[in-house]
Amino acid sequence: MRKKTKLISKTSKNFLLTGLILTIFSSIVLYFYTKNLLQEEIEEELYSTEARVSDALENHKIVYSLPPVSEIKKVKKLRPEILKDTLIYDPSQDEMELFRELSTYKKIHDDYYHITIRTLVVESGSILLAIVISNISLFVLAFIFLFYFNTARNLKIWQPFFDNLEAMKKFSLTSKEALLLTDSDVLEFSDLKDQIEFLTSKVKVDYENLKQFTENISHEIQTPLAIIQAKIDNIINEHAINDLQFEQITSIQKDLQRLKQLNKKITTLTKIDNNQYVRMETISLTELIDEKIEDYKELDLHNIAHISNDELFIKMDPFLADILINNLVSNAIKHSSKNSSISILTEKQFLKVSNSGESSLIHPEKLHLRFYREDTNNRSTGLGLAIVRKICDLYGFKMSYHFEGHRHIFNIDFKNSN
Amino acid sequence: MKYLIAEDEIDLQQSIAQYLTRDGNICEVASDYHEASDKIYIYDYDIIILDINLISGSGLDILKILKKEKKSAGVIIISANNSLNDKLEGLDLGADDYMTKPFHLAELNSRITAVLRRGKFGGKDLIEFHEISIDTKSRTAYVNGKSILLTKKEYDLLVFFISNKGRVLSKEIIAEHLWGDHSDLLDNFDFIYVHINNLRKKLTAEGAKYIKTAYGSGYKFIED
Repeated sequence: MRKKTKLISKTSKNFLLTGLILTIFSSIVLYFYTKNLLQEEIEEELYSTEARVSDALENHKIVYSLPPVSEIKKVKKLRPEILKDTLIYDPSQDEMELFRELSTYKKIHDDYYHITIRTLVVESGSILLAIVISNISLFVLAFIFLFYFNTARNLKIWQPFFDNLEAMKKFSLTSKEALLLTDSDVLEFSDLKDQIEFLTSKVKVDYENLKQFTENISHEIQTPLAIIQAKIDNIINEHAINDLQFEQITSIQKDLQRLKQLNKKITTLTKIDNNQYVRMETISLTELIDEKIEDYKELDLHNIAHISNDELFIKMDPFLADILINNLVSNAIKHSSKNSSISILTEKQFLKVSNSGESSLIHPEKLHLRFYREDTNNRSTGLGLAIVRKICDLYGFKMSYHFEGHRHIFNIDFKNSN
Repeated sequence: MKYLIAEDEIDLQQSIAQYLTRDGNICEVASDYHEASDKIYIYDYDIIILDINLISGSGLDILKILKKEKKSAGVIIISANNSLNDKLEGLDLGADDYMTKPFHLAELNSRITAVLRRGKFGGKDLIEFHEISIDTKSRTAYVNGKSILLTKKEYDLLVFFISNKGRVLSKEIIAEHLWGDHSDLLDNFDFIYVHINNLRKKLTAEGAKYIKTAYGSGYKFIED
């Protein structure tokens, strides 16, 4: 996945990069343009001085040489005109100075003259530098100003977007709180807000309907179940049936029992969803586990060992506490072979339930899903751990699973719970 | 005994009536709120089996009428709603027991006998069946006046058997009565057999041979 950059820093970065490129490019262009311009000016000046000198010579005026600016010499023959740069020692400043030099040969009144005109380039170089530097500073200043101005403005324009994004992050289907979104005078943001509101309210309504539906279904199903149950109870008492029919009828009763359990668990899940368990009591889970073990002992199923390093007190609904322990332990019972041991460990803020197993679960991340089963053990409704997970989520407990030393281990961390 | 079954599901109402009539009880039925309220104004019942969600009114209002009219009927609420609030409200208004649908008729019957037994009707804490008598206060069983030592489950089993005497009880029904929801943890109901067998031995040793096998895998508490 590509690295994610914040919108504002991304646009700022682009802006600054463009600014930098523009500054460099414009400075280069300006440098060459100004340099060219200055050179032309210098050459124009050289030619015009040379013209003045030759003019003076034509008019028989005495023209003195003034090295290095101008030198006039009589020569034997004419040579081609040369325009070049040259370095000449300047004793006044004790350094070599760059000059632009025009040397021409002219025939004036039957004499051949070599006229050399020079002008100092250094001066124009400083001008060039000054121009380029001021250009760069202007650009940089303008960009810095624009950068801060734009960033501030962008932040302000995008603020409703960021606010709404935060609001959406906090959005929860189960929360009763309404989604509060900020409107914006930017059309697109305003549209976005309307669409989010539309979608979230639709999702919420759908969710509520589904919840209501589940609740109604599990409620409605109870009456027909009750009728079937009652009729079966009468059949085995009223009618002359044979042993085989009795077997079959009691087998129907078993399935009915499963249906009852299933229905009961769905009701529990819906009730947790509907926040109907609101009692808050401090419960000793250690004590509760000991009571449960006594109950299970009567069923003579498994060897359940409970080690308590510290008494585990939790604030929660007592009914849910009962379900939590019950489901965890009965899950361990259902998924371990007979006569293998189940161990439970309680600490101050920690609960561990483990049972023996052949191999790790294939998809432990799916454990909390409703009706997720990894074996076809039909004693399991596939809802027990979903309920455990739901209870953990409700109170902020952290539930985890791992497989170690041929044991399935379920941990619940009660730290940081409310 | 005279029962009123106020239940708007006719099938369920009839099944309950059918089951309860077998002991020679008189069962009247009411299929909606008005019928139920009319009947309780006019007649006296020993037990009212009351559905909380009657078509045209709430069973809780029936309870209020009973209270106002100072009727002494024992009331067992049957509800499709397993809500603690409903249960507490019902019991607060004077109901004696609360059952969530679906339930076994044998379970209902044993609850009814328990309600009838309680002191409210001048009843005694004694269950008697021929030479067997059970003191429900001290939870002790006697055969011919001689106390027999029973475990908690064996005691519950004996009371359940006597409450549903003459009826076939499958292992499923017994398991559910004894262990409630935990019974779904059982692979099979073999070890119920152990409990029943122990009880049977203890009773037989004293000459009370009432636990009979029915249809191979069910049980029936019946005199010879």
